[in-house]
This record gives sequence, C-alpha cells and structure tokens, in this order.
Amino acid sequence: MTDTTISRGTPYWMPRIRPWLGIAAAASFVVASVMALFWAPTDAVQGNVYRILYVHVPLAWLAYLAFVVVFLASIGWLWTRNAVFDAIAVASAEIGVLFTGLFLVAGSIWAKPTWGVWWTWEPRLVTTAVMFVMYVGYLLLRGLSTDFSRRATRAAVFGIIAVIDVPIVHLSVLWANSLHQLPTVLRAAGSPALDSSMLLTLMVSLFAYTLIYAYFMSARVSLEVARQVRLWTT
Amino acid sequence: MIALYRIALVAARELRAERRQPDGVVAAVTFIAVLVLLESLVVGPQIARDADVASALFWLALAFATILATMRSFDRELEDDALEGLVALPGGRDALFGGKVLALAMVLVLVATVGGILSLVLLDLPVALPVHLIVVVLLGVLALPPIVIVDVVLALRLRARAALVPILALPVLVPQLVAATRGTSAALSGDAVGALSWAGLLFAFSVVYTVIGLTIVPAAIE
Repeated sequence: MTDTTISRGTPYWMPRIRPWLGIAAAASFVVASVMALFWAPTDAVQGNVYRILYVHVPLAWLAYLAFVVVFLASIGWLWTRNAVFDAIAVASAEIGVLFTGLFLVAGSIWAKPTWGVWWTWEPRLVTTAVMFVMYVGYLLLRGLSTDFSRRATRAAVFGIIAVIDVPIVHLSVLWANSLHQLPTVLRAAGSPALDSSMLLTLMVSLFAYTLIYAYFMSARVSLEVARQVRLWTT
Repeated sequence: MIALYRIALVAARELRAERRQPDGVVAAVTFIAVLVLLESLVVGPQIARDADVASALFWLALAFATILATMRSFDRELEDDALEGLVALPGGRDALFGGKVLALAMVLVLVATVGGILSLVLLDLPVALPVHLIVVVLLGVLALPPIVIVDVVLALRLRARAALVPILALPVLVPQLVAATRGTSAALSGDAVGALSWAGLLFAFSVVYTVIGLTIVPAAIE
C-alpha cells in the first residue's frame, strides 16, 4: 500500500454541483418522458410499442458508457495507483450492471409484442446477457478480495479485459444474422433512418439518462471515497 | 531472446512438474472423457452425432478442462510456496505468464487429442476435412489458456475461487468458443472456407489475448 495514493476526500466541487445535477437530471427526465409519450409520433409499423425505444436505447448507451468508464478508470488505477480511479471504476461498474439489467428487461418488454417471445437466442441479446454476467463477475471479484490495493488491481485487470465485450455487443447485429433491428442512428450508410421528431426525442432521452448517470456517479464516487478515507484513517 | 529463454524455462519447469505429478492433466482428460460419454446419453445418439452439437460440447468440455488444469497448476505453485520465488526473479512475472501459456497449451493439445479421438470414435463422427480439423483444434487450444490464466491469477488466494474462475473466464471466452465450435463444425461437415476463416479468427484471439496478458498480468501479480 506504500505506493498507493489515497484520496483526502471528495473533490470540493462535487457536493456543490450534485443537487443541481439531480435537479437537471429529474427535469430533463420529465421532459424526455413527456416527449416520448405524447409528442413523438406513433410508428407506422410498430404502433405505440416502439416508444420503449426512448428508454431502451438510452439504457444501452449508458451500459456502454459505464463499462468504458470502468475501462478508463482501470487504466488510471494501474498507471497512477491513485485510489480515486478505483472509486470511479466501482461506481461505474455498479451503475453499469444496474443499467444493463434494465436494458435487458426493457428489451424483453419490447420483444414480447414485436417478436412474440420474451427472449430469443439472438446474438445481440446473448452478448448483452454475457456482458451483464461479466460485470456481475467483476463485482463478485471485488467483493471477495479484502486487501484494498490487491482488490483494486485485480478488478482493474478484469475491467480492462471485459471491455472487449462492449464492441462485440454493439456490432453483433452486423456480424451475425440477427433478428434484432440494425443500427438506426449511427449507420454506416449515412444519416439516421428516423423521423426528425423521433430523433429529437431520442436525443433528449439520451441527454436525460446521461445526466442521471452523472448524478449517480457523483453520489457513488463520494461514498466510495469516504469509505477509502475511513479505511485509510482507521 | 532472454525473455523467450525465460518463458521456455518456466514452460519446461511446468511440464516437468506436470509429468511428476500429473493430477492436472489426469483430471482434465477424465473430465472431457466423462462429458463425451454423457453427451450421447443425455441428448440421444442421433443429436449427439450432429456436427454442431458435438463441436459445441467438445469445446465447452475443453474450456472447463482448461480451467481445471490451470487451477491445478497454480495450486501446485501455492502448495510448494514456489510462486513468490518465481515472481521475484528478473522478468519473472512475464516469464510466469508466457511459460504457463506455453505449457498449458501443450497439456491441452494432449487433452484435446484424447477428447477428440473419443468423440470421433464413440460418436462415430464423419470427418470431411481432417487437416482443417487439426488446424482449428490446434488454434482453438492456443486461444483458451491466456484468458483462463489471467482469471486464475486474478482469483489467486481468494475464497470461493473454484466458483469465481468459471464465472470470470467463461463470459470472456465466448468469442473463442463460438469461433472454435463453428470452425470445428465446418471442418467436420466439409466447409473448407468456413473452417479456415474461423481458424484465422482463433489465431487473432490467441495473439491479442497473449499480448494483453503479457501487458497486464505482471501488474496483477502482487
């Protein structure tokens, strides 16, 4: 532990911005929900069922974002041995697991009326479930380690390896014969294949959910840093 | 050159230890043999002879056998308090990972040969492209150890290690297992292009994960 830099506490600006972040996240979530439920037009093929897209896609984005943050924070820990990176990694992993679970549930709710089944052995679904299990394993690895420095290092190594599943999940619909819808917004073919009002609603939803992630992160990182300080001082 | 020499030394030491106390390889071979025997009983002889089913069960069995052999290899190090000494040597951490990968790949070639022959004979599997099958199996065997060794190192000295290693390793091994299964199935059913494509992917996985392992495993061994 001699070469480990333990945080002196939460950065001074974090508690100050957290209430504002919470208010912004709640307000943008309300706006996104109203737009998704009442303003965005009904889909010509799927009807109102498609509206779950405004929850499902932001959850997928947050799952990817959370695990990429775990990856970057893991590199940060291995590189600098600054404990704040470990706090960021564990916070992002927990939030990522939560959002991946919700992402799978939202997908199942959409699949039942659209495909006729809650679950099918389709590449996107299976790779997402594998990603979920992988990060549950990451949290399990952390939970079973007792020494702070070893726990952070073991978790960081696994956090770097596990990120390889993120592009696999995203590109699985292109690589394999997939029942899942192909990318609609980030398309190789060019502009998004989505009505402009639908696209705007989706963007507002993505923004709202990203703020929710940032709020959760600020709360969880503060908690973890406080835990580290207590560990260091006792 | 010195690094390669150290890796070869660790691999030779590992193989010598395995020869003197072959419980790891015996456990892995017995495990894969039991699974091949159970396969036709559980799913029925007709389904068991299907190229896709036989390939999938073979690679799943081999993945578990890899975990068994790797855990046994590190258990032996811990029982003899040999790990600390090895890690303390100059370049010991890189050599430990590289040597273990090399030695376990050789042990797995033996396990895969026994498991493969048992599958072919007991399930009476027709092999359309035997050379392609050997290439796919060899490259598949090379693709498994890097990930499993990393995960065994991460779980070293942790309680519930036997449960934790498969939970960590199997999700990461999914691409390798899919490629190995598809490649084996293609070789059994006569699809030469498919078999070689999957073999190429397996080779890429072996290289990528070995490089990742050599880069980050030294940091994981404390």
